[in-house]
Amino acid sequence: MSSELNTLSITEATEKLQKKEISAVDLTRACLKEIEKRNPALNAYLEVFDDAEKQARSADERRAKGESSPLLGVPLAIKDNILIEGKCVSAASKILEGYVATYDATVIKKLKDAGTVFLGRTNMDEFAHGSSTENSAFGPSKNPHDESRIPGGSSGGSAAAVAADLALGALGSDTGGSIREPASFCGIVGLKPTYGKVSRSGLIAMGSSLDQIGPLTKSVADAELLFNAMRGRDALDSTSTDQGSTLTQGSQDRTFKKKIGVPRHLLGTGVDQDVLERFEQSLAALKTKGYEVVDIELPSAGLALAIYYVIMPAEVSANLARFDGVRYGLSHTGSSQWEDYAKTRAAGFGPEVRRRVMLGTYVLSSGYYDAYYGKATATRAELSAEVSRVLQDVVIIANPTTPTPASKLGEKTGDPLSMYLLDIFTVTANLTGNPAISVPMGTVPREGLPAQAGKELPVGIQFTAAHGNEQALFTIGKALEERLQ
Amino acid sequence: MISKDDIKNLARLELTEGEVAGLQKDISNVLEYVGQLRRFEVGVPTEASGVSLATRNVMRSDEPRGENDPLGGKREALLSAFPKREGDYALVRKIIQKDE
Repeated sequence: MSSELNTLSITEATEKLQKKEISAVDLTRACLKEIEKRNPALNAYLEVFDDAEKQARSADERRAKGESSPLLGVPLAIKDNILIEGKCVSAASKILEGYVATYDATVIKKLKDAGTVFLGRTNMDEFAHGSSTENSAFGPSKNPHDESRIPGGSSGGSAAAVAADLALGALGSDTGGSIREPASFCGIVGLKPTYGKVSRSGLIAMGSSLDQIGPLTKSVADAELLFNAMRGRDALDSTSTDQGSTLTQGSQDRTFKKKIGVPRHLLGTGVDQDVLERFEQSLAALKTKGYEVVDIELPSAGLALAIYYVIMPAEVSANLARFDGVRYGLSHTGSSQWEDYAKTRAAGFGPEVRRRVMLGTYVLSSGYYDAYYGKATATRAELSAEVSRVLQDVVIIANPTTPTPASKLGEKTGDPLSMYLLDIFTVTANLTGNPAISVPMGTVPREGLPAQAGKELPVGIQFTAAHGNEQALFTIGKALEERLQ
Repeated sequence: MISKDDIKNLARLELTEGEVAGLQKDISNVLEYVGQLRRFEVGVPTEASGVSLATRNVMRSDEPRGENDPLGGKREALLSAFPKREGDYALVRKIIQKDE
């Protein structure tokens, strides 16, 4: 069998599997071979599961018995913050090094039922705190398009694995852009579903009012396939729902309208000129598909990142309180229980995690609560109202996923705030709960890229729709894919 | 106003003096950035604004998980994860101490 099977999209592989042209074992072996070749340089996987081939054989047996789920035998990479029973899961943190998951995340259970193969767990920023994977306790991942650059983050290992064909697709989690930003930097598709659409049971929590699990894939159709396999209410996550969302926002089906709103007032400064050019070309391409493009105003969107950097660390400081050396993971001993906690957490948490825990503790502390958390919550509601109002008129809000292509490794690690700014366009969807997708919109040249002709860096376009209207994202994403192919 | 020692204690983090200085700089930069929120006047969200801050409580009864529960049968696995275990208990130190 050709080793190039790993370059197939899920949709293409499914067709070949169903026609019995290939087996799940062939597919998995092709991925494992490519992992062996490229993972040492890319550091996309923290661990490759030694039972991957066994899982593939079991998928082939299920097919032989007559099963035909579209995901049966499809090899996927899983972000290291999603629990698979019996497998190590660390959130790329020393505090959970060697910890073995005691149960399956709901998304994992659903994918096991569908018959997917889990190839391994992918690198990420520690506890998903970051936009580059440089905050991983196990070293950064590299961008397959240029190994001197970041793959984005925090789901950077998943994005690099898919972009380098080390998996057919992957799961990530998105709290402020952690699926969409690495998808943009690696030239693949990344979906953050509506808040509540996919159960978070078994996801190591970061910001509970923001977190969603979603797919990173080679095509929009693949993202749709994985989303549909994972969605739905789950008794183990009380924020999950079969309705539009657990947040209250109008969400009638507006897929029939082809009207795109662009918040041009946000694109004036800070966005690279050639990224804007790709963006305008994509909009022009969509116009030829019958889409209308209008200007919209989101007056509070300029504050989104400021809101996020209050709400997120506040939730992080609460969620990470459970890592205390008593329940699981690393445990250090001091002269009192308090010292046990403090020593365990100091030894287990890396610099960015400490920064966010301290920041979150500060903004929630007595005397500052109203000025920061209270204000952020009120502004968040205002922003949600604005997005909701705009989506009464247009079906899609479009903007570049990131203001720039992938930066160099180490370029932003000295200045946390400059790293945070990579998420300026993605955090809004997390704050408002809306579904958003990043789809490749072309490439831009940058200095120092490998000499071969045509080597450029990918950039993505982000589409946002009303709560529960993922369908509109898939429709417009496919339209753009067709135009740009 | 809260001191840096208080924050360290609240966050349950042991930090060296050098780390505290670095964190102070980073956190001041972020606080300065998010400070723009304080200058922004927001009204109280109303029904008419199309969004409600009100969330709905989802309750469940506090009962042991049965064998058919997705998380049922995990008791021993969860207990085994305790770094310091005595029987079915996680071992911690005495919390109440005599005043010096």
